[in-house]
Amino acid sequence: MNDDAFLRIADLSVGYGATRVLERLDLAIGKGEFVALLGASGCGKTTLLRAMAGFVAPSTGTVAVDGRDVTLMPPDRRGMALVFQSYALWPHMTVARNIGYGLKLKGLSRAAIDRRVAEIETLLGLEGLGARKPAALSGGQRQRVALGRALAVDPQILLLDEPLSNLDARIRLKVRHEIGALQRRLGITAVIVTHDREEAMAMADRVVIMEAGRIAQQGSPEEVYSRPASSFVAAFMGAENVLALEGQVAGGAVHIAAGRQSSSATLTLDGRLLSSGRLEARFRAEAVEMVAADAQASRAEGLTIAGRVEAASYLGGGWRHSVRVGDQTLFADAARPFDSGAGVELRIPGDKLFLFNLPTSSSAPDATALEAAAELSPAAPRGPVERVLQAS
Amino acid sequence: MSLIGHPIVPGGRFSRKTDMPTPALGLLLVLPALAVILLLFVVPLAASVAGAFEVGGGFGFGNFIKTFELYTSDILFTLMIVSLSTAIIGALAIAIGGYLTLGENPRAVALLRWLYRWPMFVPFIVVGQVLRTFLAKNGLMNNVLIGAGLITPMDATSFLDWRGIVIAFVWKQTPFVALLVAGAMASVDRGTLEAARNLGASRVRILLEILVPQVAGTLMVALVLSFVTMMSVLSVPLMINAQSPTMITADIAFRINAYGDYGVANALGVVSLIASAGVAWLYLRHSVKERA
Repeated sequence: MNDDAFLRIADLSVGYGATRVLERLDLAIGKGEFVALLGASGCGKTTLLRAMAGFVAPSTGTVAVDGRDVTLMPPDRRGMALVFQSYALWPHMTVARNIGYGLKLKGLSRAAIDRRVAEIETLLGLEGLGARKPAALSGGQRQRVALGRALAVDPQILLLDEPLSNLDARIRLKVRHEIGALQRRLGITAVIVTHDREEAMAMADRVVIMEAGRIAQQGSPEEVYSRPASSFVAAFMGAENVLALEGQVAGGAVHIAAGRQSSSATLTLDGRLLSSGRLEARFRAEAVEMVAADAQASRAEGLTIAGRVEAASYLGGGWRHSVRVGDQTLFADAARPFDSGAGVELRIPGDKLFLFNLPTSSSAPDATALEAAAELSPAAPRGPVERVLQAS
Repeated sequence: MSLIGHPIVPGGRFSRKTDMPTPALGLLLVLPALAVILLLFVVPLAASVAGAFEVGGGFGFGNFIKTFELYTSDILFTLMIVSLSTAIIGALAIAIGGYLTLGENPRAVALLRWLYRWPMFVPFIVVGQVLRTFLAKNGLMNNVLIGAGLITPMDATSFLDWRGIVIAFVWKQTPFVALLVAGAMASVDRGTLEAARNLGASRVRILLEILVPQVAGTLMVALVLSFVTMMSVLSVPLMINAQSPTMITADIAFRINAYGDYGVANALGVVSLIASAGVAWLYLRHSVKERA
């Protein structure tokens, strides 16, 4: 983490009553950076955003902007503007008055307000809508008014709470692009909360994945996508297929023992932090190379699993198969459909197979290993704190 | 009580099914409700209005001329008292609803929420009686003020005049308006309040510029209902202000009880009806404008 962070969250804990929502969280955001807080509902990402904005009082820790401690300051003294998930536009005010209200509160003259409102309307493509009430706008337009209202006061930091969740899918793609472009053009520091990983990756410079009140991993979109640091992150980033394996680490490589359905394999460690023992493997359906059981798979390094096709569905651009492997079902993509009941081999290249150590306490026999792993939910409680959080 | 309410007639839609004589059946179904409304609501009202124009066997404006000769000051007194009460009730209801919505001390909010509704369940006659003993020259209020050394016994005055009526109306009607307003405020998107706070609005500004405009419709309805209720209260002016000028209701009772003069009493009733209808019209015009 760099020392010249513009927005710095240090040791931040937030609780509602006995429930801890955020647990000693640290996060530093650079000036002009666009950061996405990504996580499932209830992971504390919105609470973190609201704590930054000053709507939630932390029980410990500090929030600092540009070296200035703002932890105890009211929301309007922090140089931050928040765009609400519901947009929270004032229904009794016109678009122009909605956008200009923050300026009116600052005591600007009528002429100065009108000028700035016109500027914002041009910036966001809201020309000609100034006299309308929010009820007479489309969802996308309302979203832009909410954005305009926040930008009008020229905040140092823009906070966005799931700003796209109320838009329909097509508009969402467009607005996603627009917000990203606008942020880069204005060079404003921005934090977005979202549960949509594609949205986070498309918009942000850095993705912060949250799990049960803590940061599970943070990094560039590519980093968190292709090098997930934990099983939870891998699952959240789309690696839903899960397998239990046995592995021995030696000489910069991990040697995976053959299971009932899987072949043995030797993969270079390539930066993976693993120790010998029971492993959990995760991979995406699109990472799989799927071939008929009697065909020759390519020779490259990887893990091969034998299975039987249960069903195939067309996703556009390719076919997704559910494949029966032992007691569980895995998903695998292929360019052409395989018949239901066909024997297939699934080959996962080494760099697309995410491996994590399983807790050593359980020592189930090999035959039930696959099943045991299948039951491992990505959100399963790990430490005592998470267990408390999950229980509440 | 309510002269502006439009009763809802059930069964207003006829079903179109096979060869049943549906229009006749529909009419039959709606008949009991219609009869009740006609006999108990429309006919008495029409009879009273007609009675206001009856002068010695014929029709004319005699009753109205007499009404305005004798009671112009009472009519103005009534309108002023009820208007003033409505304004104070509106302000207090906004203050109570605003504190319930924006208050940051949960204990104070809970206490206020528990306390403010009580007067709603006290009848007007009891309110009149309570305030008569409380506001009199040697009543509880003055005794407390004298006991606290705030005024001397020589300064003690009776509040049993127009001020007493206003206090009684406000005491009784504020909870009703506050209940409706607080309910409407509670259903306002809290994000709209936080967005204003985020931009630096004080709590008073949030209340007046963000919250109240969003519940203006509910506030208007509650105040119109309150206005009409107060126009029709007899017990409070009789108990608190048995002097001149007094309210229209007391005059109506007096015309009937002392003189058996139903003509002038009916004319006074029509005046009160027109005043109430005027307020209702103001409200309707406002809501039509809102929708446009």
